[in-house]
Amino acid sequence: MGRESEAEAGTRAVARLIEKATNSTAGEVDPRLLKAIKSTVRSSSDEIHAAVDSLMDHMKKQHAQVRFLAVLIVDELFMRSKLFRSVLVVNLDQFLSLSIGFRRDLPLPPPSSIASHLRSKSIELLEKWNASFGIHYRQLRLGFNYLKNTLRYQFPNRLENATRLQQERQEREMRSKQILLDKFENLKDKFSSIQAEIQSTIDEIEECLEILSVKQEEFTPNLSTEDDEVEEFKSLTLQQIRLDSLKEGEKVKEDSDNKVIFDALRESLKLLISKHLSSVQEWISVLVRVDLTDNKFRDNALKEFIDIRNLIHSVRARCGQLGCFLDNPSDLKKDEDDDDLWEEGKIEHYMPATSSVPNSSVGNSADTATSSKGKDVALPDANKSSIGHVLSSTSERSRLLVEAPVVTWGPFLDNWGPNQDVLANHRGLELQAHWGRVDYDAVIPAEKIAELNFHRTVYKEEPVELPPCRAPLKKGGLCQRRDLRVCPFHGPIVARDDEGNPIDQNSQGDRETEKEYPTAATDLRSDSVDAHGTLNLGKEMVEKLGRQAVKNVRERERDMKSMKRAKLAKIREHNEDVLREAAIASTSYSEAFAEHPATSVRNGAEVKVKKPTLASMLKKKITAKDRLAQRLLNSRVTDSASRQLMQGEDSKYREAFPNQW
Amino acid sequence: MWKAVKDREAGFLLPSSFATRIRSHRVASLDLSNHKEIVSPHNGAINSLQVDLTEARYLLSGSSDGSAAVYDIQHATDYERGLIAKHKSLFVVDKQHNHGHRYAISTAIWYPVDTGLFITGSFDHYIKVWDTNTTQVVMDFKMPGKVYRTAMSSIATTHMLIAAGSTDVQVRLCDIASGAFTHTLSGHRDGVMSLEWSTSSEWILVTGGCDGAIRFWDIRRAGCFRVLDQSRSQLGRRPPLAESTSKKDTTIIGLLCTTSCEGSVTGQSSSVKSMVSQRRIPLGNEMKQLRAHRKSQNLTRGPVVQRLHPGLSSSHNRATAHYGAVTGLRATGDGMYLLSSGSDSRLRLWDVDSGCNTLVNFEAMRLQPTKALQLAVTQDSSLVFVPCLATVKAYDVRSGMTFRTFRGHYELVNCCCLSSQDQELYTGSNDRQILVWSPASPVIAEVEEDGKGGWDSVADQDNWSD
Repeated sequence: MGRESEAEAGTRAVARLIEKATNSTAGEVDPRLLKAIKSTVRSSSDEIHAAVDSLMDHMKKQHAQVRFLAVLIVDELFMRSKLFRSVLVVNLDQFLSLSIGFRRDLPLPPPSSIASHLRSKSIELLEKWNASFGIHYRQLRLGFNYLKNTLRYQFPNRLENATRLQQERQEREMRSKQILLDKFENLKDKFSSIQAEIQSTIDEIEECLEILSVKQEEFTPNLSTEDDEVEEFKSLTLQQIRLDSLKEGEKVKEDSDNKVIFDALRESLKLLISKHLSSVQEWISVLVRVDLTDNKFRDNALKEFIDIRNLIHSVRARCGQLGCFLDNPSDLKKDEDDDDLWEEGKIEHYMPATSSVPNSSVGNSADTATSSKGKDVALPDANKSSIGHVLSSTSERSRLLVEAPVVTWGPFLDNWGPNQDVLANHRGLELQAHWGRVDYDAVIPAEKIAELNFHRTVYKEEPVELPPCRAPLKKGGLCQRRDLRVCPFHGPIVARDDEGNPIDQNSQGDRETEKEYPTAATDLRSDSVDAHGTLNLGKEMVEKLGRQAVKNVRERERDMKSMKRAKLAKIREHNEDVLREAAIASTSYSEAFAEHPATSVRNGAEVKVKKPTLASMLKKKITAKDRLAQRLLNSRVTDSASRQLMQGEDSKYREAFPNQW
Repeated sequence: MWKAVKDREAGFLLPSSFATRIRSHRVASLDLSNHKEIVSPHNGAINSLQVDLTEARYLLSGSSDGSAAVYDIQHATDYERGLIAKHKSLFVVDKQHNHGHRYAISTAIWYPVDTGLFITGSFDHYIKVWDTNTTQVVMDFKMPGKVYRTAMSSIATTHMLIAAGSTDVQVRLCDIASGAFTHTLSGHRDGVMSLEWSTSSEWILVTGGCDGAIRFWDIRRAGCFRVLDQSRSQLGRRPPLAESTSKKDTTIIGLLCTTSCEGSVTGQSSSVKSMVSQRRIPLGNEMKQLRAHRKSQNLTRGPVVQRLHPGLSSSHNRATAHYGAVTGLRATGDGMYLLSSGSDSRLRLWDVDSGCNTLVNFEAMRLQPTKALQLAVTQDSSLVFVPCLATVKAYDVRSGMTFRTFRGHYELVNCCCLSSQDQELYTGSNDRQILVWSPASPVIAEVEEDGKGGWDSVADQDNWSD
């Protein structure tokens, strides 16, 4: 007796768990509940029988969501328990008709979107079950065959697809392996010839370099004494440039004497880099990837190739020192990229985040160049920069960085800072050929330089994040419209909380009163609205007055409009009354229909955000089409339409047969 | 079971009752076979199934796509994954065949004497007799309407008649020996959907028509001699045969056949009838028993006195057995009872002897109303298998209780056929499948257990990951 009651309690527990798990609007079963169900069911076979019964009961419910969740639970248990399988399989046709809805007289229940999801999921699951357990259960095979061959349902064919993909991948791998092997064999044959070729090119270059270096020794220019004379270049960057140029001067210059050698050098270097280097890279990658049983030759070759590559790099570096680059810098760049071509890795996306902090600062300390426009641009970021200030208190440098103006790059940055005159002709310009006198000491005055360096930028509007309206909607959720000031559906945009209720009730109330007492209220309102404004008071006054004027005009307009509307409404009401009376006179029950739209509209006006329930999923959404249909198809309209038609016919008849009238 | 074997060894148990016991045990454990599949070559509903009567080895199926096929149900043609025996058709005759049927085959039966011939009837108005070995048409009969059912008597020794019911009101008997219609039995007011030869007398034919009447014909004389009336009923069964007679008689079937016929004759106290039946009993050795039996029958039979003539009284002639069409008929193996199914979703058990409705209340069922159904009865006539929409139900013949429900088909089931030899049930349905329902066999289960290790496929075991 005790045992029986225990079992009873247990079955009830399973049923309750399943009940709870299927009573949800979520797309999947709550994993905790699922786990509980599994552990309960596992405890005894009675539980399994109870679970099957309960699940089948839930499958019979007229709600696709409940069925969907039940199917998910069935799948979990089906894949695990043998007893569950053997019990469920007996009623498989019923289960399938409830989950797939293949019987025409038993279609799947609403909501239709979930029903279609349920169908596709069940078909997928049936295929899975058939693949794993079909051999043990004739019923599974039968059901699968029936749906596939008789009803021609499209199964996703997971298993077959997976095997096909696997096969394709294997074939591809095999093919690439074969190609690699072919290449490797090819390399084996040609290895010595490649090596010799590269060696000869390198030798050529070496010889060229040798000749050049001999010449270099002959005239080594000494320009070190000139350093003192150019003291006026104080700027660090300029000094750097100068040093570089001095170094440059030490290099062998190409001139008419050694032009031939340079040409030869350039040519062979080009050959070396564009052809040999890339081929060496390629061979290396082939050697690395190729899969062989005998690795001796491969290791040797790899070693040799790496040596050759290093040699090529060193040769190229030496040529670079000599000032002999290839004409096409992109080529060079590509070659350098090749170095780590086959060290695969992810390319990091460049994050332009760092730019935001300096961007936010407002510079007006030493920046004569920034225009007043720049200020305007920077204004919206005022609060950002204040955050920056808080951060910068830690270190002087970061504080300065925050304050520092951010300017787009331009040539004016070259002489940033120095407030000095600049020599006009000290630019390395070749002035020898000019006619007339050349004034080497000509000076451009500092003011002129500053004037020339005047920084202009094109005004770019900052992208402004418009806040969404966030007024609550009838269907639930918040209005996501982004308007500047006024949402066309929900009025002026105010701060709202998560529910969509306006936070600041006061200000709204103020605005209400403001309509009646405009002058008194504007102060308060403008204070609350423009609390963060940094404009001065006078300007504010002017603006306020202007706004006031506009508002007054609008108010008047609105008054007129509302009066007109009220008048119209009155007329319409009267008309409707008359019509309704007429309708009531003609038919008794059309009254009810006429009443209906009004009530529905009133219901719709109530804004309710409910928690979604199973019942709410079943409710049909009222679309614009429905509303229109209700409007157009209610009896009053159809009556009047038919009456009109009748009248039209009457008049036509009268016209056609005037003598019979 | 082992006790039964021991009893049999000791001689406490008669061989026949031992066999019956084993058979009924096996039938009781019928279930959808996982290890035996018939691969149906048909593209239409299976309308008819029959296992041959001589070897119980070949299954004949007729389908709505105009094809008929024969399967060997003893030997599988191939095995899937070493376990599932697939029985493919040995041959198919379909529309591509030179003399194939043009429309749906509604019935396909074996020649009862051997498997050299089989007969198909089709909606294209033809009945064809096929040579099994050459798969050629030996003979064909043109019927006046769509053929619903054909039947041959399994106990006939003196005639080779195919009884055929069609949309025409007349039932025709086609003689294979001459190739002509020997009889035209008229009496039904609508097409004849079901036919059954008596299992006790080779001359008695039972027909069920779309007019709801079930008529009994003696082919040796004109007209029908009985129309079953659903309102004429008897409560309970006839008393069982006296213990002594059944034990004495070695040929049980023979005895039962005579008793039933004689009983009917005596019960109705018809002079003509009794003359007929006495004439048709050629063997004198049964006469004694008959007499003895008749006495006992007379005691229980109520005084149903009525005039019986080849032309029945008109009121009796209009009696109906079902409201709506009679869709299926099946006589029990002993020939004492007749089961009929109708489009009024009823199954009725008739006492052949008295022609009364036995009022066995078969539990709620819904039957296909528009198609001829093929019922099956176990050899000891304890269970009847009835196609009920997409399921097959087994009812206890005596009590009418639902014994089992066989679910497996996805569409309406048309026919079921029980192989008496190995107690397997074959069912054919509109979903084009022929399913095999076989007794649970401990041997196969063992094989399955053993085989588990050898397969790569997922073993059928519990698999709790958490």
